[in-house]
Amino acid sequence: MQIDILFIFTALIEIFKALPLTMIITLVPLMIGFLIGIGITLIRIRKVKGLYRLANFYVSFIRGTPALMHIMLIYLGLPLLIDKLAGTFQWAFQSTSIPILLFVLMALSLTAGAYMSEIIRAGILAVDQGQLEAAESIGMTNFQAMRRIVFPQAIAVALPNLCNIFIGFLHTSSIAFIVSQKELTGAANIVASNNLKFLEAYIAAALIYWGLTIISEKVTALLEKRATVYNRGGVA
Amino acid sequence: MIQLRNIQKSFGNQLVLKGIDLTVNKGEVVSILGPSGSGKTTLLRCINFLERPNEGEVMVDDFTVNSKQASKKEILTLRKKTAMVFQQYNLFKHKTVMENVMEGLLVVQKSSKETARKLAMEVLAKVGLTEKANAYPVQLSGGQQQRVGIARALALNPEVILLDEPTSALDPELVGEVLEVIKRIADEGITMIIVTHEVSFAKDVSDYIVFMDQGEIIEEGTPTVIFNYPKEERTKRFFKRINREAGILESNLSSVI
Amino acid sequence: MDITLIIDFFPKLISYLHITLLILVAAVAIGLIIGVTIALIRIYKVPAFNRLALIYISFMRGTPILIQLFLIYFGLPALLTLVHIDVSRANPLLFVAITYGLSCGASFAEIIRGAVNGVERGQTEAAYSIGMNEKQMLVRIILPQALAMAFPNFANSVIGSLKDTSLAFTIGVMDMVGRGNTLIASSLHALEVYMTLSIIYYGVVLCLEKGFSLSEKKLQRFEGSLAVDTK
Repeated sequence: MQIDILFIFTALIEIFKALPLTMIITLVPLMIGFLIGIGITLIRIRKVKGLYRLANFYVSFIRGTPALMHIMLIYLGLPLLIDKLAGTFQWAFQSTSIPILLFVLMALSLTAGAYMSEIIRAGILAVDQGQLEAAESIGMTNFQAMRRIVFPQAIAVALPNLCNIFIGFLHTSSIAFIVSQKELTGAANIVASNNLKFLEAYIAAALIYWGLTIISEKVTALLEKRATVYNRGGVA
Repeated sequence: MIQLRNIQKSFGNQLVLKGIDLTVNKGEVVSILGPSGSGKTTLLRCINFLERPNEGEVMVDDFTVNSKQASKKEILTLRKKTAMVFQQYNLFKHKTVMENVMEGLLVVQKSSKETARKLAMEVLAKVGLTEKANAYPVQLSGGQQQRVGIARALALNPEVILLDEPTSALDPELVGEVLEVIKRIADEGITMIIVTHEVSFAKDVSDYIVFMDQGEIIEEGTPTVIFNYPKEERTKRFFKRINREAGILESNLSSVI
Repeated sequence: MDITLIIDFFPKLISYLHITLLILVAAVAIGLIIGVTIALIRIYKVPAFNRLALIYISFMRGTPILIQLFLIYFGLPALLTLVHIDVSRANPLLFVAITYGLSCGASFAEIIRGAVNGVERGQTEAAYSIGMNEKQMLVRIILPQALAMAFPNFANSVIGSLKDTSLAFTIGVMDMVGRGNTLIASSLHALEVYMTLSIIYYGVVLCLEKGFSLSEKKLQRFEGSLAVDTK
């Protein structure tokens, strides 16, 4: 076996340039997914009529199918819908002018939404019911109580899971290479086939992902310490 | 006969047992009393090497284990001669009452299933739990769980049963049933060493009382002597406090009534 | 879009489900062996090996399954040429099974370790007090309880692996998704193919979830009414 160690370094530098795209594909879906997650959680906790079942199905379906399916369904299905609408309403607009990245972001946002809703729900359910009652007892509305009292505590509880989902999505973003996105894995693929050094390129990519994961674990550990300051027992 | 010679144990640099000597004759029931932190539970756990003493020897039924050179095999042999009843019962959660009692017979004593089952039913009858044989521990009250714990120990027919505060974790109304079972098996002539806070029970059931404080045996003797004529100041103080607490409890009760 | 095509594609794709399930079963089997071994190494802090185990777990947790798949696919044959074994023509299924097995192994190891540490100390003491040796204690008392406790996480992990198998086609495995791609090439109806695939995956996941929750009830029956959701 010959491994070109030096080439791993070259590849590392080349592939690293794709980091911004990986970050976009990781973070944008998580942020949109967070908002979707809050919406879904409220629907599920309040058992909103009609929407409740839909929300349950959405979460169950997304969690029950691979993320690759979500990307493909949106990437292949949404253009059909858009072109049809464009045809009906005579828009001078075609789906081909939409970059694929946008579809990837939309699809992964839907993916993230389902997982986020589970995390947020678990966080909210973990907050003592007494907190809500105490907030309402001093005259807060239910909305105020949720936003000012319950939610901040729920997020602190959910922090480890939020870190996990970040790492999960960092890795999931690699799937985007299948629809030819030049994020880390896509870049590794290009470096690999251009130089016919597959193993070295993927080792380099692996090192970058691994490094990013370790950094995010360390950051979470720090955040966790800060977020749960109020949770410490004792007086000191 | 059980003999402890110069048992010493320290945690970190704190000496919790300062060289204990104790002899328990066959068929005797010995209770170890003393304030919390006196080292009595540690002493009990040293007898079956759940805590390994730093110094000293344990002899059970002519089999001696030296703390310095005890091999795994020797410790195992020692444990086969003893059995323990725990404060928190520690029943095997994933096994039924019956299986809990049979476990040691099957695995350690290599009895046949039939023999084990028969014996298990006998001891369960002794602790009055035959009808719970197929229940899981979680389905039992604390008192019932502890009675199973006693049955599990009894089934092994050990040289000695070590009881570590068997009623401390129980709700007050469940203490009685467990003490009653212990009393019954004591009357059968089974050797027992009991660490307990139940002073009046100890007085009632024991042939011999050991009073410990700060890692040492302060005073020992028959219940009559120890309870009626304690010599040591620390022993007297301990009983005085216990009596006062009992008195407070009683006056509380009477005020409720 | 032609919805009726789904009915047409369904039998064609589901006839490849067994390949997907084969990958899953192989991965879980390999994963269990690795997982138990690594967990024991971590629990007993076996010198040297403990470090290796930590690095292994961190790496598997730190990299996407897709990258792991490529590393094994390109790396294993290269590694094996050192000992003069030629696997360059081996069925890609082999590489997939190994990759997913290694990946499962890492997550199972952490799940098992967590569960073993979650068994109360008193259980060990009780086992010792009736004269059990270390192996008997581990096999008869600790592991059965730990496995029952670990089961929900284990089930989640298996379902995650099932979904991960959808990426096996990238190294040329003819599983459901691989077959789907040939269908796309011949029919030019990609969306319908992916809709059919999604329905099949969803169906399988729902079945697995049902099966797991039934086994969980059975496994944890000793937890009685006090059973807690470990999620």
